[in-house]
Amino acid sequence: MKAIGVDVGGTFTDLIYCDLSTGALGIHKVSTTPDDPSRGVMEGITALCAMNGVAPGDIEHVFHGTTTATNAVLEGKGARTGMITNEGFRDILHIGRHQRVEHYSIMQELPWQNRPLIQRRHRKTVGGRLIPPTGAELVPLDEEGVVQAAEELKAAGVESVAICFLFSYLNPAHELRAKEIVEAVMPDAFVTTSSFISPQFREFERFTTAALAAFVGPKVDRYIAGLGQALQDIGVKGDLRVMASNGGVATPRMVTEKPALTLLSGLAAGVLGGGWIGAQCDRSRLITFDIGGTSADIGIVVDGVFAETDARSTSIAGFPLLMPMLDIHTIGAGGGSIAHVDRGGAFRVGPQSAGAVPGPAAYGRGGTEPTVTDANLVLGRLDPGDFLGGDMGLDVEASRAVIGELAKTLGLGLLETAEGVLTILNANMANAIRSRTVQKGIDPRGFALVAMGGAGPLHGADVAAMLQVPEVIVPPYPGITSAMGLLTTDLKYDAIRTQFQVSVSLDVARVAGDCAEMEAELAARFADDGVPAADVEYLRSGDLRYVGQGYELKVPLPSGPIDAAGMAQVWEDFHAAHAAEYGHAFRESQIELVNVRVTGRGPLPKLAAMTAPAGGSLEAALVRQSDCVFRGTGGLETHKTPVYRRDQLPVDTPFDGPAILLQKDSTTVVPPLARAVVHPSGSIIITLGAAA
Amino acid sequence: MTRIDPITAAVIQGGLENIAIEMGHKLMRMSYSSIIRESEDFGAALTDATGRQMCECKMSTPLQSGPIPGYVRNVLEVLEGRGDPIRPGDVIMHNDPYGGASHGPDVAFCVPVFHKDALIGWSVTTAHHLDIGALSPGSCGIVDAVDTYAEGLQFKAIKVYDRGEKNEAVWHILRANIRAQELVVGDMEAQIEAARIGAARFLALVEGYGIDDVYAAFEDLMDYSERLMRDAIRDLPDGDYTATTHLDGYLDDPDPSRHHLPLVVTLKVRGDNLTVDLTGTAPQLPDKPVNMPLVGTVDCAVWLTIRSILLDSAVYGPIPQNSGLTRPIEIVAPRGCMANPIFPAPVIARFCSGNQLADTVMKALAQAVPHQVSAGIGNLRVVAISGLNEGNHWVHMEIMEGSYGGRYGMDGMDAVDTLYANTRNNPVEDIESHIPLRVDRYELREDRVAPGEWRGGIGTIREFTFLDDAGFSLEGDGHAFKPWGFEGGAEGHVASLTLRGINGDERALPSKVPYCKVRAGERLISTGPCGGGYGIGFERDPEAVASDVADELIPAETALRDFGVVLVDGKVDHAATAAARA
Repeated sequence: MKAIGVDVGGTFTDLIYCDLSTGALGIHKVSTTPDDPSRGVMEGITALCAMNGVAPGDIEHVFHGTTTATNAVLEGKGARTGMITNEGFRDILHIGRHQRVEHYSIMQELPWQNRPLIQRRHRKTVGGRLIPPTGAELVPLDEEGVVQAAEELKAAGVESVAICFLFSYLNPAHELRAKEIVEAVMPDAFVTTSSFISPQFREFERFTTAALAAFVGPKVDRYIAGLGQALQDIGVKGDLRVMASNGGVATPRMVTEKPALTLLSGLAAGVLGGGWIGAQCDRSRLITFDIGGTSADIGIVVDGVFAETDARSTSIAGFPLLMPMLDIHTIGAGGGSIAHVDRGGAFRVGPQSAGAVPGPAAYGRGGTEPTVTDANLVLGRLDPGDFLGGDMGLDVEASRAVIGELAKTLGLGLLETAEGVLTILNANMANAIRSRTVQKGIDPRGFALVAMGGAGPLHGADVAAMLQVPEVIVPPYPGITSAMGLLTTDLKYDAIRTQFQVSVSLDVARVAGDCAEMEAELAARFADDGVPAADVEYLRSGDLRYVGQGYELKVPLPSGPIDAAGMAQVWEDFHAAHAAEYGHAFRESQIELVNVRVTGRGPLPKLAAMTAPAGGSLEAALVRQSDCVFRGTGGLETHKTPVYRRDQLPVDTPFDGPAILLQKDSTTVVPPLARAVVHPSGSIIITLGAAA
Repeated sequence: MTRIDPITAAVIQGGLENIAIEMGHKLMRMSYSSIIRESEDFGAALTDATGRQMCECKMSTPLQSGPIPGYVRNVLEVLEGRGDPIRPGDVIMHNDPYGGASHGPDVAFCVPVFHKDALIGWSVTTAHHLDIGALSPGSCGIVDAVDTYAEGLQFKAIKVYDRGEKNEAVWHILRANIRAQELVVGDMEAQIEAARIGAARFLALVEGYGIDDVYAAFEDLMDYSERLMRDAIRDLPDGDYTATTHLDGYLDDPDPSRHHLPLVVTLKVRGDNLTVDLTGTAPQLPDKPVNMPLVGTVDCAVWLTIRSILLDSAVYGPIPQNSGLTRPIEIVAPRGCMANPIFPAPVIARFCSGNQLADTVMKALAQAVPHQVSAGIGNLRVVAISGLNEGNHWVHMEIMEGSYGGRYGMDGMDAVDTLYANTRNNPVEDIESHIPLRVDRYELREDRVAPGEWRGGIGTIREFTFLDDAGFSLEGDGHAFKPWGFEGGAEGHVASLTLRGINGDERALPSKVPYCKVRAGERLISTGPCGGGYGIGFERDPEAVASDVADELIPAETALRDFGVVLVDGKVDHAATAAARA
């Protein structure tokens, strides 16, 4: 069984090949081709097959992470999109929540007004109205009006239509009927409805999610169809599976129908990869920490379960997105982050980044501002002759010059300034991790931090120390953890039904009935995708809150028959979840069950367990001794620090920090007083404060 | 001169901000009433022992976090006057509008933070409560309260927890005197929990870095904010800049002096100091609650406006919000004017007065920094709707948005909260699911665009039908005076309010409506104000005008009349346009 994972990033497309039966593994990296990303993908696959001596026809699975939808939104280059909505509500997308983005600003932009997904001229209104609590029809749908609206949109060259009616999450009938009519008038258009995309209350957020889906729909459709064809052309007969934001993969058909599924998928694979690496090391409580050039992404995994966001915390390019999504927190902090003194005289690092071009001063591509990479170089933590496996030389003098300028402005020493850059960056990152852990009742002291991305292993140990996280895991290939994550996924589909039921008057049969209905719906989906019914696993959950609150917490529902006793446990679990999340439970209050959800999982073959290279001895792995600067209890200290070639380190043989570990896609820092060991699975485990 | 190295300062600043964000996040998510959880009308901040603000939550609304130092200072004075020491475990409730509070419904819960037996700071949350026991249901639209006593309960530094013991009597009084008490008490409990979390985190920060370093970093941080503000003021040409705008006043009052109320602002720039002199502002209304507390409303309106213009966060990035920012600014308001009323003059309905004052400050500052302001904003209106359900009150509050005036290089923002307010609306699907109200319409107004090279923002039209017998009250402004145009831009458009009876009769209502009973089937129609234009309409980019026509915001006739743009089949006829503009 042979599989390929392909992850398209902003600069590089990462690929991994694995023979799942033998464990044979190969990795590759090609430049991303932004005009048509499938070109880079196909080049990479062809090369990867050749490198590993496999015929494309033998590849049975291709797992793919794509940024096509994401980029369409970020760049504002989607379809010419239209909308059909209720009479009297033409401007829901424009008014939003009537809140400004910035409190203290006159000259700010509002994304939904300055960069509308659907222009007002293409937002049409028709008669018809449903009302709560059941979605009963107050005013019948004006079908003539829908025909007319569709004809106008067609005449205006609209190629994609979102149909969005109030209360459609309670009753989709009007939206479905309108969709039929529009499809008859505009047979070539992409047509979707807000109840199909995300049947949840709050019209601005739901309509915007549908608008996003319609905006990217035609592009995603063309891309997936084109890639499928290209794979066929080189003889790949296996299935294409596309990464979704919920941490699962979906079939091309599913992605084409619900293109918004992929909008934030780029980050999901990285967290999955981190989770898989942790599991290989038998660690079950993990903070995944992925640092690239401009940003750092943080995810939480507990016992193999990846934290998900609540419906109100997700957005893309300033637009709210109501989709099930892994909870990944991104901050603007990375290797390219620029250190500067701002106009008030304060020392800041980021969020501005030098990016890849011009990049840090050390790259010698014209970068003149001091970056985190320059600071690492000045402190001896990066090896100027061995960056990217020696493919790229680093200019230490250039780094010293730009950090030196900064030091002059601050009135500090060169080393103190360089170390300060790292301290400020690491503190920003530690705060971001605190907001996902300590602030949610999770104690990071029981976790391991998986340091990924090119820059993760440089900073992992210092950030862990700030959080009192005892252990850092550095994956075998920190730079391609996302591509690896693609090979650890399942097919994963979600369904949701609104309840608005209160604990004291719960209609248990309705909950059970809705769950059964959703499971049947998902079963039909999986059957279409060829997954045997016996293999599919269903997970039920509810979105709960105290009556009157506006934010819900997700709590598991019973997996067997749903009855009063089971629901009594659900209420208890909610009190406990509330206390954990916010530090307090209101046990006297009634509880409202807002939504019930079912997630279906269809298992797929996974990456085989990895093993560390045989390695040799520490002496054999030693490249040289270097001077590196670390902060000790009494201030900055310079340590004679061994620099090791990582792939030659012996397995299961602990060694003490300080040490620097070189490999092609990253550099690992083992600080003083820490102890590191190569785990048999190939990861390195750093234990802080454990030096002998 | 700094007190601590810049690295530690940056790290401690990040720690402080993180705490305030966590407080706000938890308060918003735990709270029960839509005015907090949806509208985000709450505040969260840490102060030092004397009430100087260290940090505030970015999610909270400016008018809630801004007053927190004033609350703390007054709590300290009142308790000292009583000889009542502050002890660990105390939680102090306060809402005295003559003691730092913004107005009565904005109740603060203050948790003192102790380190080694010394008071080192305060963790405080504020929030707008649905009801505070005033003369009619809801805590807005009380436009006929005759004095402070008619505005509801007054809490002057009341210990709701005393050394950790709950003061049950206070809670009994609260429950017996406040409508919708389940929601209000639930929100108060959420406030207390969020403030306690802030206190615990603050203490952990102090234990982690040491009290001396934390305070050194805080002093540096205040100096930093002060320096930014002084630099910005120094860039302004020295001189006096005066502006006047008017509040509607009580348009149906028999006393004509109450119809229109002038607000006068003179900014006196002297080097890096700025004095904001409100002399000339209308005298206080001794028995009408549109007066503005000097501490808690007037000061926040002034500071926030100056800060938003001179240190605009979209231009300058985030700037730490702390007491240092306000040091270079002195506010002068003659005692007994609307901006410095004398107890017990009522103040509960000060919301729109304060926002109009903010607009007046912007109008004065516009003379010094014309490229950093908007033309006149459309003010806001707040409505409380209430009724009885099986003997229990339901109360719903809705803030009706305004819009901004045009800006240099940018049109005005449409349909948003303006200046010192930044709340969120309630989803139609939330409103109709929880209260007996049908929302019939929520759209932009059409053909009400203030011409300008950069046009004014557009207000909304909202219609609600009552599905049950109920009542409403409303406080607003902007029915009588149009938002000002700037640099040749036209004035904006006023707001209006209409009650349509079951038989279709329409009754125009003023911008201040005391509690008014309505019957099922009656409809309330609100049209929001449209901000003023910036620059000359005939100089607007013709393509932008064509786009507004295509979007059906203005008809082609208006494009010609107000902008001198001739369209043929929706496309700009450049020759004809040039001729029309000549």
